[in-house]
Amino acid sequence: MPDIAGFIANFNTAVDFQEQRELSGGTLLADLPEWDSLAALGVIIMFDTEYGLTVTGNDLKKCTSVQDVFALVESKGK
Amino acid sequence: MGYAAIRNVRYRGLASCVPKNVVSNLDCAEQIKSERQRLVRNIGIEKRRICYPWQCFSDLAVAAAEKLLADLNWAPEEVDALVVVTQSPDYLIPATAIIIQDRLKLKTSIPAFDINLGCSGYPYGLYILGSMMSSGDIKKGLVLIGDKCASLKDPLFSDCGTATALEYDSDAPVMHFDLNSDGSGYRAIMLPVGGHRRPTKFHHFIPEQGESGARLPVDLVLDGTAVLNFSITQVPPAVRRLCESSAIEIGNVDYFVFHQANRMINETIRKKLGLVAEKTPSTLADFGNTSSASIPLTMTQRIRGELVTMPRRLLLCGFGIGLSWAGCILETEGICMPELLEV
Repeated sequence: MPDIAGFIANFNTAVDFQEQRELSGGTLLADLPEWDSLAALGVIIMFDTEYGLTVTGNDLKKCTSVQDVFALVESKGK
Repeated sequence: MGYAAIRNVRYRGLASCVPKNVVSNLDCAEQIKSERQRLVRNIGIEKRRICYPWQCFSDLAVAAAEKLLADLNWAPEEVDALVVVTQSPDYLIPATAIIIQDRLKLKTSIPAFDINLGCSGYPYGLYILGSMMSSGDIKKGLVLIGDKCASLKDPLFSDCGTATALEYDSDAPVMHFDLNSDGSGYRAIMLPVGGHRRPTKFHHFIPEQGESGARLPVDLVLDGTAVLNFSITQVPPAVRRLCESSAIEIGNVDYFVFHQANRMINETIRKKLGLVAEKTPSTLADFGNTSSASIPLTMTQRIRGELVTMPRRLLLCGFGIGLSWAGCILETEGICMPELLEV
């Protein structure tokens, strides 16, 4: 089972933040200016290449926090 | 079907033409520079070519065809078939190919028709014209491929027209194809207004609130996440399947020329197939996503020197709007290939 620290490192790279950000599971996506359609593409690629999972745009729209996105690793992996 | 082989048809030449008008995605107000740099870094597209207001796709394609015919030393009356693959016709009707028959002064005793395909269009165009020619009734054929799809509203698309010449030759190497369609994803890239299902009305020019800001109902709809998932899920297995069906080892292909979608999609496909960057030439940075013309444009701009002088085995793969995806494996040798034209 992937740990959230490793996931957040991957998430950081995938979103390509313009400024360094301290993220935790509780970070709200709405508070991240870079959480946009480009970030969604990066995160979908991350799921595909890092975890071998297919995540859709609708899956991501339902997420409100970084923890919600991380939870997709488990729910999609079942 | 899926796999198909075409025999007796030689890939003779290719010309690509773009508008002279260059726009940069980094040409923007200072306040949004950093945001634009992030966009360019991720989609890999800095410059694009946009038709002048008076130019159509057909103007680019005709310029390419005239140059190709001249360099091949083919008289217009020698051409026996004309196929046009575009989603940017001069008019809704009649077909652009028939108008181009006259513009190129080709004889009237030829078939000329349009095919409505976008990003997957190059392998399809070769397949359709090649199929028509393999029996030997048609000796020389042209397929004109590309689109006028650029707009200042989006940072992806760019304009280009191309002309490819095929010739009947019983000694030609076999061309291998893998052709696929999935209409369940038609909403992923579409112009929802302007066809017979939803004819254009005045209110379609009034902005409405979309998920990513205001948009006009007549504008292109692009579901980026759906296109991404389709591309990275379908393209790598299709490439492997084509190689298996053709009995050609993936390591024995000289170049893989993919449709230039955006850097994120193309890099993911490349990595999933385990290909080195040197084998997957790209024109994204300088020309953006030129729809069905992106494969021939990339051949012209990145590997022309080798294609005109030595034998090469190419795997070409287009994917996108439809949803539609198609690949082909070609063996080329000393093809006629003028330098990129600009009009």
